[in-house]
Amino acid sequence: MVVSFSLVMVTLIIIGIYAILAIGMNMHWGDTGLLNFAHAGFFAVGAYTSAILTTPVGDAGLLASRTVGFDFPIVVGMIAAPITAGLFGLLLGITSIRLDGDYLAIVTLAGAETARLIISNEAWLTSGVQTLNNIPRPLDESLPAVLPYDVFYFGLVLLVLLGSYALFRHFANAPFGRVLHAIREDEDVPKALGKDTAWFKLKSFALGAALAGLAGSLWAHYVYAIQPTMFLSNLTFSIWAMVIIGGAGSYFGAVAGAVIVTGIRQITRFLPGDIPLGNELPYLRLIIIGVLLIAVLYYRPHGMFGDKERSLAGMSGGGN
Amino acid sequence: MIIDPQFIWNGLVVGSLIALAGLGLTLLFGLLNFINIAYGDYMAMGAYFALAANVRLDLPIVVSILIGAVGGGALAVVVHKAIFSKFMDRDPIVLLVVSIGMAFILRNVIRIVWSTDPRYYAVPVEEGPSFLGITFLPEQVAIIAMSLIVLGLLFLLLHRTRIGIAMRAASDDTDLARLRGIDTKRLVIYISLVGGIIAALAGIMLGLDSNLRPNMGFIALIPIFAAVILGGIGDPTGAVIGGYVIGIGQEVSVAFIPSEYKPVVGLVLLIIGLLTRPDGLFGEATR
Repeated sequence: MVVSFSLVMVTLIIIGIYAILAIGMNMHWGDTGLLNFAHAGFFAVGAYTSAILTTPVGDAGLLASRTVGFDFPIVVGMIAAPITAGLFGLLLGITSIRLDGDYLAIVTLAGAETARLIISNEAWLTSGVQTLNNIPRPLDESLPAVLPYDVFYFGLVLLVLLGSYALFRHFANAPFGRVLHAIREDEDVPKALGKDTAWFKLKSFALGAALAGLAGSLWAHYVYAIQPTMFLSNLTFSIWAMVIIGGAGSYFGAVAGAVIVTGIRQITRFLPGDIPLGNELPYLRLIIIGVLLIAVLYYRPHGMFGDKERSLAGMSGGGN
Repeated sequence: MIIDPQFIWNGLVVGSLIALAGLGLTLLFGLLNFINIAYGDYMAMGAYFALAANVRLDLPIVVSILIGAVGGGALAVVVHKAIFSKFMDRDPIVLLVVSIGMAFILRNVIRIVWSTDPRYYAVPVEEGPSFLGITFLPEQVAIIAMSLIVLGLLFLLLHRTRIGIAMRAASDDTDLARLRGIDTKRLVIYISLVGGIIAALAGIMLGLDSNLRPNMGFIALIPIFAAVILGGIGDPTGAVIGGYVIGIGQEVSVAFIPSEYKPVVGLVLLIIGLLTRPDGLFGEATR
């Protein structure tokens, strides 16, 4: 087994970006108990916002005639991505945040699919089903020769990851987070204390969505070219698997879950191509993730690093 | 503005499909009380079982449909026994997440066994007769006929047999049904069987209408959920009506909006429904 350095760096970058997604999801599900199934949609909105803002018109698709592009500096895209994704989260939240748990799951799932439908069909804005390419990379070509690009980019992703980890943990431990936890345990209690719980849930939803948008921007500027099939709901389910396996309610668990799940998904890159079942490997690893998810829920309901005090509705049994 | 009658016919076809699938989902939900994301993959599995019988074993399509239906029912029972029953004392949301894992497993088993290429049933491609400006394709007629037959049989099952009445009672109030001496544990197995059979039939109909792909059921899931919620979760009649409303709504919308946005119609109806009538069209939702 030959492990090349560049392959390790690519894997680390992907893990880092997924870990940022998992942190946002942990605020929704782990802290607030919201069933968000739209994470791939927030990720997509962030990626496309950043890509459209930083590429010139028409430079993208080959056949599609994209008529909108701004060619702004990358930093503009990275600031705008969380804003538009957060606004999308807010919009989706306003229509559905008052709904009961699993109704919210269905509406958010449908919302994410709608976002993907719009991205696939409005070619004037997004290049449609074709790839939107030539997305600029930050500091490309201006790095000193001794520093490989992927090492630099991993540093950038790690910086954002650590920053968002610290920030979201701070939110969770602040009075704001304590209200979220109270909503998670029993919404009637904070309501009785005069808290506007719908507003708190909306803020939690928008914050997690905005972070997913930032992750989308990091993704777009790393892979140069994006297309709608990168943002299928399967991605949302993988992030769910990360948060549950790592342990809902724990930000450390969310990051650990991202390492485990992405590790399973990427490990086969390091295997030689001619092993038996080589062609089926991508599907086999998704089966492994499915089995792991069910096994963790059965044997360790609070996940590997989960918050044991989290009595949440979801995790301790008992009725509705 | 006059709407092309062809759209309404197409809507009836799609509506029949959603109505049938929605009925199966709502029956399962009524008794088990969790959203089963793997339901779409039961549909796909059933469709592929029928494909294996039809194409591999060269059996006539009618026999293949029956084999697919039995296979789908057996699959749902096995999955329930092996997996879901171990989590029945947990919160519904845990079961929802478990069903995500199950969906991962089933869908990727399909990809490994049958590959990701689109597959087709070996049925003759015929041109349909057309009158009143509507073309009636034979597979469309078959879908509507199948769906009406199954809906009729289910109606009889739910209203005229002891087991069916017990199912409705337990779906309405599980504890009360248990108090009255209904063996709800056994009932769950029966309802998994019936739900799996219906899912498989709906999947086969979907495959007849276009083709088979591993994610066919998952993609169909959103309008089906919309129909179930619109009709009031756990309400069989509501699910059927919801299915037709969404099917016809989707197809007729083509006259007003680009056809690519058809799937959004279900979402919009769903959100309007949830915000205005959270208990479903008839206010009989079990929760």
